[in-house]
Amino acid sequence: MNCADIILKRTDDNIPPLKNRKAGRTSMIKLENVTKIFPSKKGKDVTALDNVTISVNKGEIHGVIGYSGAGKSTLIRCVNLLETPSKGKVWIDGIDLTKLSKEKLRQTRQKVGMIFQHFNLLKTATVYDNIAIPLKLLGVPKSKIAERVVKYLEIVDLVEKKDSYPAQLSGGQKQRVAIARALSQEPQVLLSDEATSALDPETTNSILELLLKINAELGITILLITHEMNVIQKICDYVYVIENGNLIEQGSTIELFTKPKQPTTKKFLNTISQRKLSDRLVNELKLEGKVVRLTFLGENTGQPLLSKVTQQFYVEPNILTANIIELKNGIVGNIVVHLIGNDHQVEQSLSFLQEQGVEIEELGVN
Amino acid sequence: MQSFIDQWLPIFYEAIKDTFLMVAISLAFSVLIGIILAIILILTRPGQPLQNKFVYQFFNLLINVIRSIPFIILLFFMLPFTKFVVGTSIGVEGAIVPLVVNAAPYIARLIESSLLEVNQGVIEAYRAMGIKTHQIIWNVMLREARPAIVLALTIATISLIGATAMAGLVGAGGLGDLAYRFGHLRYETDVMYVTVILLIIIVQGIQSIGNRLAARMKKD
Repeated sequence: MNCADIILKRTDDNIPPLKNRKAGRTSMIKLENVTKIFPSKKGKDVTALDNVTISVNKGEIHGVIGYSGAGKSTLIRCVNLLETPSKGKVWIDGIDLTKLSKEKLRQTRQKVGMIFQHFNLLKTATVYDNIAIPLKLLGVPKSKIAERVVKYLEIVDLVEKKDSYPAQLSGGQKQRVAIARALSQEPQVLLSDEATSALDPETTNSILELLLKINAELGITILLITHEMNVIQKICDYVYVIENGNLIEQGSTIELFTKPKQPTTKKFLNTISQRKLSDRLVNELKLEGKVVRLTFLGENTGQPLLSKVTQQFYVEPNILTANIIELKNGIVGNIVVHLIGNDHQVEQSLSFLQEQGVEIEELGVN
Repeated sequence: MQSFIDQWLPIFYEAIKDTFLMVAISLAFSVLIGIILAIILILTRPGQPLQNKFVYQFFNLLINVIRSIPFIILLFFMLPFTKFVVGTSIGVEGAIVPLVVNAAPYIARLIESSLLEVNQGVIEAYRAMGIKTHQIIWNVMLREARPAIVLALTIATISLIGATAMAGLVGAGGLGDLAYRFGHLRYETDVMYVTVILLIIIVQGIQSIGNRLAARMKKD
């Protein structure tokens, strides 16, 4: 019991700050019924995206998650038209990119920064030049280039590496350079194409923190794709789950973590924490009482609910697994508990928990 | 020994000068044409944004056809054309036209393969930034391919030196011609040995310079 109380207790210093969130209602990125079909020589066309609609509000961070081959890479490449959609519209800040001339599209792309899994830096140029060359090519006045390069190198904390070549940097540092390069063009939108997938967990965290900082301090709208649930967990306001080119589930990160509907979404959630118990174990325990997963959100996590269950309904809760997941905008507690008691008592305690706003999922029922 | 040097030094000097002149001039033209051809091939190849089956196939075929013709045949086959272009078909000037026609497609292929090695991701990143295609060619593709291009041009320069020897047949002069005329036809074997040693030194030198230059440009 003590264990549950500790876990359920909300630790205030762990809550991510919300004060800088400027979630507006205006849509910054919008894909409207986008379909992308890759024609194949053998006559079997591949539908990489099937009628996908997403909308990212100004100043928010949205994430698209899916397994490899799900179409998420095509999706993000459709946003800046590196891939031209077969059908549908793409809006950036109210401009329909699919209707633009080549020249106008080129200019609009300058508003959209992009970072990549493999960083895509010039090997033959120093960190400084990797940022300065695109600025020069985009017509930024010479007198302002040095100032801008240093400004954004400071943001990514790499000023002292400005004369190094990419080969002399670690993966995380290379990604920081790529981020500085994208930011130096002062875009309104940042697209992140698996930007942390080639990095180790610790470096991933530092890059994610940097993205959060950019979003909060510069107000840049971010759309990212990933196959790592912890990326979604740490920085996203809103999530899209994509499978076989279809958008199968979407919602705020909190919604998705508390009430996942699709099996694929649940699988992704299982990667975050050891949520799954073996069927054999569940079936064995079920002989007496019930095995349930309780998902707590926000203030509920502060209440020692399980203590109350014992006191009021004489049910013995035996905790099988428990964890707490910090999301960008809140905390989700997750307990798998074996409730031991007679059927009536168990039912009563479950409806009590439900009244308290706890999400309940009974395990071992098919 | 002293008499050998006194007798042959001016002749060797003249031959070395001719070889360098032929190689330098034809290399300059070949590189210019080769880079342009390579860029056309890269931009129009299938799967690229500017893909164009007709243009790509035309230049692809043209390069293959010219590269199929042995240089010795090309040399004589081109005599009338050479005369039309430079006004003479003999001497250093006369040799340059066939040398360029021989080397340009070869260099185009070498540069094409160097450009193909450039990380497509970087090119894509620059496209995503809204940078113009011609700027990408100069500032990304040719820049990133520089070390590979330098090595390719080293190879091309050395085979060009070999080709100038044959150009001796149309009276172009140079070291190869010297070795052939004096060393082979007149059985003056010491002239031949000296020429061959000189060529070895030159080839070795060019390869070393090329390797070093490429290594210095390469930053990984």
